[in-house]
Amino acid sequence: MRLRILLSTLATALILSSCGSDPESLDGRAAEIYPGTCADGNGRSVTIYSGRTENLILPVLEAFGCETGTDVQVRWGASTDLALLINEEGDRTQADVFLSRSPGPVGYLESNDLLGTISSDVLSLVDEQNHSAAGTWIGFSGRKRVMVYNIDEYSPADLPDSVFDLTAEEFRNKVALPGTNGSFIDWFTVFMDQHGKDVATQWLNDMVDNGARYYPNNRSIVEATGRGEISMGLVNHYYNYQEQAASGNDHRAENYDFNNEDIGSLLIITAATILDSSTNVEASEDLLEYLLSAPVQQYFTDRTFEYPLAAGVIPNDALPELTALEIGSVNFDELGGGFEEASRIIEASGILNR
Amino acid sequence: MNKAETKQRGPAGLQLVVLGLAFLFSFPALYLIWRNFTEGGNPAELIGTRRILDPLWRSVSLALAVSATTAAIGTALAWLTNRTDLPGNRIWRVVLPIPLVFPTFIGAAAFIRTMNPGGLANRMLSELGIETVIEMRGFFGAWSVLTLFCYPYVYLPVAARLRQLPSSLEENARVLGQNPSQIILRVVLPQIGSVIAAGTLLVFLYTISDFGAVQLMRYDTLARSIFTSQLADQSVALALSLILLLLAGAIVAFERIFSRVKFTTDEALVGKPVQYSLGRWRFPAIGFVSLIVLLSTGAPLLALGDWATDGLIRTTRGGYPLTIDKEQVWESTWNTFSISVLAGLVAVIAILPIAFLVARYKSRIGSVAHSVIIATFALPGILIALAMRFWTLRSDWAYDLVNNTEVLLIFAYVVRFGSLAMGVILVAVAAVPKRLHDAGKILGVRKFSRFARIDLPIMTPGLAAAAGLVILSTMKELPITLLISPLGFSTLATRIFSSFEDAFVAEAGIMALILVALSSVLTWFLVIRKADHL
Repeated sequence: MRLRILLSTLATALILSSCGSDPESLDGRAAEIYPGTCADGNGRSVTIYSGRTENLILPVLEAFGCETGTDVQVRWGASTDLALLINEEGDRTQADVFLSRSPGPVGYLESNDLLGTISSDVLSLVDEQNHSAAGTWIGFSGRKRVMVYNIDEYSPADLPDSVFDLTAEEFRNKVALPGTNGSFIDWFTVFMDQHGKDVATQWLNDMVDNGARYYPNNRSIVEATGRGEISMGLVNHYYNYQEQAASGNDHRAENYDFNNEDIGSLLIITAATILDSSTNVEASEDLLEYLLSAPVQQYFTDRTFEYPLAAGVIPNDALPELTALEIGSVNFDELGGGFEEASRIIEASGILNR
Repeated sequence: MNKAETKQRGPAGLQLVVLGLAFLFSFPALYLIWRNFTEGGNPAELIGTRRILDPLWRSVSLALAVSATTAAIGTALAWLTNRTDLPGNRIWRVVLPIPLVFPTFIGAAAFIRTMNPGGLANRMLSELGIETVIEMRGFFGAWSVLTLFCYPYVYLPVAARLRQLPSSLEENARVLGQNPSQIILRVVLPQIGSVIAAGTLLVFLYTISDFGAVQLMRYDTLARSIFTSQLADQSVALALSLILLLLAGAIVAFERIFSRVKFTTDEALVGKPVQYSLGRWRFPAIGFVSLIVLLSTGAPLLALGDWATDGLIRTTRGGYPLTIDKEQVWESTWNTFSISVLAGLVAVIAILPIAFLVARYKSRIGSVAHSVIIATFALPGILIALAMRFWTLRSDWAYDLVNNTEVLLIFAYVVRFGSLAMGVILVAVAAVPKRLHDAGKILGVRKFSRFARIDLPIMTPGLAAAAGLVILSTMKELPITLLISPLGFSTLATRIFSSFEDAFVAEAGIMALILVALSSVLTWFLVIRKADHL
C-alpha cells in the first residue's frame, strides 16, 4: 500500500515538474545580457548539445530564448561524449547545434560528414581565422594557454619566456602537463603544425625525460599548484580565477604568460556548429549570431573571463594580453588528422604514466 | 518436457520471462559486437600487443588488490556493526554506506585535496607539529581511494546476510563448546562466503570499469585507454571495450565455477541473530571503524565542506555570486530522488524472476542471464548510454516510444546497475526455507498468494538492500544521465559535473553535500529501518 502511494506521488511529481510557465522577464546573470521583457513564442525551436557547461552558458541561452521567443532545449555533457553521441545518432540526432569547448570534437564530427554549412552572414561576424574556410564551424569565445605557477615557490622573473625553456634542468620534476585534456591535445596539434612534427615530438619527449608530470585536466593542475603539490603547469587561463574566487588566499597560484610570440601563449577557441541533419537551420543561425552579439560577447569576457571574438568588444582588463597566434589562424581544416596524430604522439611519449 | 524436468529447469513461463530479460540486458554486449564488426575493430589483432597488455595488467592487478582489501574491510565492518556490541552501531550503519554515493570524479578529487601535500589534513596536522609527505597517486592512490569508496559493495550485502542468519546453528555450536572465533570461522563464514564472493566480484568489475578515480590518481588502466582513444581511434576504443567485456565474462565464469553455491536452504528461521560481546577488543574495533569512516567519508567531506563554505561566505561578503539558484538545486534534488528510487524499484522487479530461476532451479537460461548481467557491470557507463541510444534508433517503434523519456533512462540504469541487485536478491530468495514453502503448498495456498504471504515478507530486507544499492549508485551516475536523459533533465550529479568541469568548486561542493545528505536519508529508510523490521 505504502508502495502504491509512493509510486503515485512520484508519477504526479514527474508530470508536474515537466511543465513550467515562461518567465515574463529574466533575473540574475541572464538579465545582464537581456534586461527587457520576454517576447511571445515565435514558433521556432532549437536543440543544443552543449559541451560548454551550464554555469558558463545557461544565462546566454536563457537570454536568447527570452529575447527572441525561441524554444531552447539543451543537453549538457562533455564535448567528447556529445560528439560520440551525435555520431551514434547520425541524421536522427535531436541536436541542431553543437557547442564544443575545443576544436577536437568538432574536427571528429566534420571528418564523419555530420556538419552543415553556416551562412556567410554569420561567418563574417568573426575574423577569417576564427571560422573554418568551409563554413562548418565558427568560434565564439577564446581561452588562452598560460602557465599556472605556485607563488610561494616562484616569482614571474624566474619563469622562462618560452615553453621550450621548460626542458631545462632547473625545471626538472616541476612541470605538470594535462596529457589527455582536449585543449592540450588541440594545443599540441597546432604546436606540430607551427614548429613541425619532429620539433614538437622532441619537445614532449624532452619534457618527459625532464620529469614532467601528467595530470588529467586543467582544473586538477590548477588545484594541485595552489597547494604546492606541483610547482607549475600548462593550462587554460581561466581556471585559476574560479579557484581564487572559491578558496581566496589559501589558493597559492597565479597565471604566468609566456612571451606573446611563443606557442605557449596560444589562443584556443570554443566552437559552434550546425548539424547537417538540422531542420531548424534558421533558429540555429539566429542562435550563433546571438552568441556573437555585443551583450553576449561582453558577458563572456566580464563573467566567464574569456576572450571575445566578435569585432568591437574589448576584453576584460583582468585577462592577460591577447596574442596574435590564434588557433584558427593556422587553418584547422588543413590539419586534417592532426588531432588523432597528436593523441598518438602524446600517448607514445609515455607522459600518461608519469 | 516431463514433470521432473520442469521441476529441475523451472516453469516454462518463468524461463520465458528470464529469456526476455536476458535479451534486454545483453544490449550493450550486442552493441559492442556489432560496432566492432561495422567499424573494423579487431580485438584479436590487439591481444598480445603492448598497447593492450600493459594497461590490461595494470587494470587486473589494481582490481585484484582492491578486491582483496574491500573483501576484508567490508566483511569486518558488517560483522562489527551487525553482530557485536560495538558502541554507536545504529549510527555506523547509516554512515558506512555513504562512500558509495560520491561520484568518483569529485570524490577522488576531494580526497586528494584533503590528503595530498599541502592539503587540508596536512595543514591541520602541521599545526599539531606533524609533517606528512604521502602523496596519493599511481597504483597506491588508485588502490586506496577505490578501496575506500567500494567497500560498501561488500559491506551492504554481507550485513544484510548477517542480520538474516538464524541463531540456531550458532547456538548449537556454542552449546557444543566452541569458542566465538571458532564459531565465526566454522559456522558463520561458510554461511556468508558466497555473499562475500559476490560482493567482491562487483568490486573487481567496478574497478576495471572505473575512469574517474584512476584518471585523477594518474594510473593508466584499460578503461582509461578506452577513454583516451575514443575520438582519435574509435575502432581501437571499441576493440578495447570488447576485450574488457570478455575479461569480465571470464572472471564471472571463474567465480561461478569456484563458488558454486547451493542456493537452497532448509534452515529454520529461529530466533534473532546472535550478538557477540567484543570485550577487550572493544577499543581496537572502535578505532578501526572510525578510521575507515574518517578516511572514506570524512576526508572527502572535509574538502567538499571547505569548498562549499568558502562559496557561501564569499557571497555574503559581496564576492562573485554563486552560479546556481535554489530553484535549480531543488529541481535537481527532486529529479535525483525520484529517478533513482524508480530505478531501484524496477531493478528489483527485473532481477527477482532471474534470481528465482537461478536459486531454485538448474536452468541454463538462468545461468546465462545471471552471467550477462554481472559481466555488464564492467562496462563504463558511456558505453551503456551509447548502446541504448544505438538500439532505440534501430526501430521507429522503439524510438517513438522511449526516446526523450524517463523510460529509456531508467532502462539504462537498470542495465548498468542490475548486477548490484543480483547478489543480494539471490541470497534473499535462497533464504526462504524450502520447508516453509512446501508447507504452504501442502496447505493449498495458491502460487501468487504463497509468494506474497511467505516469500515476500522473508525477502523484504534483502530486496530493500538490493534496491538501496541500485538507488545509491543511480544517484551519482553521470554519463548515462547526461547522454540519454530527456532534454533539460538534470540531477545533482550532472550539475556537480557541470560546475566542477570549469572549476566552480564552491557550487560543486554545495551540491555534493546535498547529494550525501539525501543518500543518508534514503540509506536510513531503506537499508536500516526496513532491515530492522525483520
